[in-house]
Amino acid sequence: MSIKGGYFKKHLHVNLTKGSAERQDLTDTFVERYIGGRGFGAKLVWDNLNKHNFHIDPLGPENLLAVAPGPLTGVYLPASGKNSFVAISPATGLYGDSSMGGGFGVELRQAGIDVLSIIGRAPELSILFIDNGKTTTIPMPELKGKTCLEAEGIIKERLNTYAIHVATIGVAGENMVRFACLNSDWSRNAGRTGIGAIMGSKNLKAIVVRGNTDLPIYDIEGLMTEADKAYKYLKEHEYFKMWQQEGLMNVIEYANEKGILPAYNFKDSVFAKHDQVNGAMMLNHYKIGDSACFSCPMCCSNICLVKNGKYTGTVLEGPEYESCAMLGPNVGIDNFAAILSACQLCDELGMDTISTGNVVGAIIEGYEKGILSLSDLDGRNITWGDEDAILELIQRIANRQGIGDIIADGSRRIIEKWPEMDKVILQVKGLEQSAYDSHASSTMALAYATSDIGAHHTRAWTIAKEMEEGQNWSDEEKIDIVIYHQTLRPLFDMLGVCRLPWIELGLNERRYANFYKYTTGKDVSLEQLLSLSNDIYDLTRLINARLGMSRKDDSLPYKVHTNPALTGPNAGKVIDPEYFQKLLSLYYQRRGWDQNGIPAAGTERKFQD
Amino acid sequence: MQRLTVIPEQCSGCRICELVCAIKHFGVNNPKKAALRVLITYPHPVVRMAIVCSQCKEPTCAQVCPTDALRRVDGIVQLDENDCISCYKCIEACPFGAIYAHADCDFPIKCDMCGGDPECVKKCPKGALRLIPEAALGESKRLNNVLSYTQMKEIEFYEKGEQKVIHYAEIGKEEL
Repeated sequence: MSIKGGYFKKHLHVNLTKGSAERQDLTDTFVERYIGGRGFGAKLVWDNLNKHNFHIDPLGPENLLAVAPGPLTGVYLPASGKNSFVAISPATGLYGDSSMGGGFGVELRQAGIDVLSIIGRAPELSILFIDNGKTTTIPMPELKGKTCLEAEGIIKERLNTYAIHVATIGVAGENMVRFACLNSDWSRNAGRTGIGAIMGSKNLKAIVVRGNTDLPIYDIEGLMTEADKAYKYLKEHEYFKMWQQEGLMNVIEYANEKGILPAYNFKDSVFAKHDQVNGAMMLNHYKIGDSACFSCPMCCSNICLVKNGKYTGTVLEGPEYESCAMLGPNVGIDNFAAILSACQLCDELGMDTISTGNVVGAIIEGYEKGILSLSDLDGRNITWGDEDAILELIQRIANRQGIGDIIADGSRRIIEKWPEMDKVILQVKGLEQSAYDSHASSTMALAYATSDIGAHHTRAWTIAKEMEEGQNWSDEEKIDIVIYHQTLRPLFDMLGVCRLPWIELGLNERRYANFYKYTTGKDVSLEQLLSLSNDIYDLTRLINARLGMSRKDDSLPYKVHTNPALTGPNAGKVIDPEYFQKLLSLYYQRRGWDQNGIPAAGTERKFQD
Repeated sequence: MQRLTVIPEQCSGCRICELVCAIKHFGVNNPKKAALRVLITYPHPVVRMAIVCSQCKEPTCAQVCPTDALRRVDGIVQLDENDCISCYKCIEACPFGAIYAHADCDFPIKCDMCGGDPECVKKCPKGALRLIPEAALGESKRLNNVLSYTQMKEIEFYEKGEQKVIHYAEIGKEEL
């Protein structure tokens, strides 16, 4: 059965240098093969790389930025508000993607397009305005130096409407900080892999969308029935209310109990004052409202306000687990109000909270260890939990002042400047590690090492399962669960939906094949979709291989092999380097890649048309 | 008489109400065709609130309608498309902005309460949209007001070994 719905089969290609915007048709073969979201993005990036003979400066005009919702984005089913941003990452120089929730992707789809791609560089700071069928680039130099929220306000005033969705960068993006993010709907971010820096390099402050079109649905009644079942399942789940109340903040307590919470730059994996920064603290003293992405009943996002003390008036949507852990325990801050302030600052500047918390933690430890001198720090002392110094450093990174100019170029540049920092900073392929400590979880370590974007948990998050039931897993079982995650989780990013209903509340993944079927009219099984997702994993691997990556880059941070957590249930544990290499070999074997991590010859042919 | 009421404090801004409204009335997956909209403002003030027809007893929309196409029947202000000339005066006149237009639609998009059993109320995952008897309108606001009474003090106490907190209002001594 062929495609009868789900797609407009339109690709909007924008060249900022030429000031052109062109709607191109997508073929049935293309949409069926690449599904959408990160699948579309990876294919467009691959084609662009081929065009440039694999020589692309991530911050050059030739780097193609794909903005790709999926066929299920905006569709009536739980949590369909996701959109992927895909490009060659300025953090890693390799394939990069990041997904954003909220309503931006829905609006983009309603403008009648399945994927937007942007190349070139605008002559001056501009915004791209996609207003249904009409696309214009509007120079707005007055946005220079504005925070994400300020910029959004100015744009809404200029266009004389609030009924638009704006994805914008802050100062960090303008300054091409290699972990700058893209912000929309107040606090939804495409946080990782430096998407904001790419926008900055293109002189593009914001992408603005207004769309009113019906989404093409093949069988809306069938979809309604299936979606209502899923909503009902979630609503009746024993943890549903807890998710509405605490959202991802409940993970702080869990991570601390299991000994996987990063503290003091991953020196420890429990935090003594965890009760000062956990979900209960937030609920009792800070939370003033719920926030949800499009069509999501779980509303995992919290709106918090600081009502008294030094940070009075700090108000933001957030934090969630990662932001709270990385800008709290990981830098030694045990004051929840200060964490909120740091998160708000990152949102305003448009900077990834995970990478920011990671590098700041590394800088503090580097200084503690004497790798960095006081003059390296521009004469400004910084220690664990020093809120003022940490907030100031965050500002200095975004504005590229003093040492901030070096940190802004990411962990690779830091290591280049101070080689000893390689033993301090936790990163893979140049992307700073996110907030799950992998010292005691070999599957999580493998997941970080083999993730196509670097040390992020988006591709596989196996740590909870391993902590709970993985004590006697065989090596084969370990590899299989990592690969299953790396196949299923990216499928959500291809379909344009959130994976939390599945991973957190156990919504059966088979339902998504049904959603796809009712939306597109194409009867596929979950296995077929997974096989297509697996192809994309091969494709991103191929991209990285052609850009020079090999086995040596599928490595772990020094600390994960060498410096065990000091206290807690996982004290003393490290990942044995030999064992890790053994797992890696087995992983390559089961993936069908050679022992250097390169897909079999001829794989390229699958992606040529 | 049942009224559709909105509790902004409960709203998460997920827009499921918009989706199900449009699907129910037009059979399309398009929140822009809903007869209600969730408005979200931030950071000052932080509000998430569905704007939906109040089915006014003296509807301004009906008063300005030049063809009397809007009439209140059984407590619901209904649009008779046969009489409507799509001048959209009703949209401009509604003090809440609770009537909508869409380029694809020939007529104003106006809430009909789904005939008394609104889809949005049934599908709201937060209970932010509710159908309540007219006489009960304002109940939750009154309760909230009492609970957030500014002079509240709290004391902690233990009941069967469990720590609890009791709130009480301290009467202003000076004023007595």
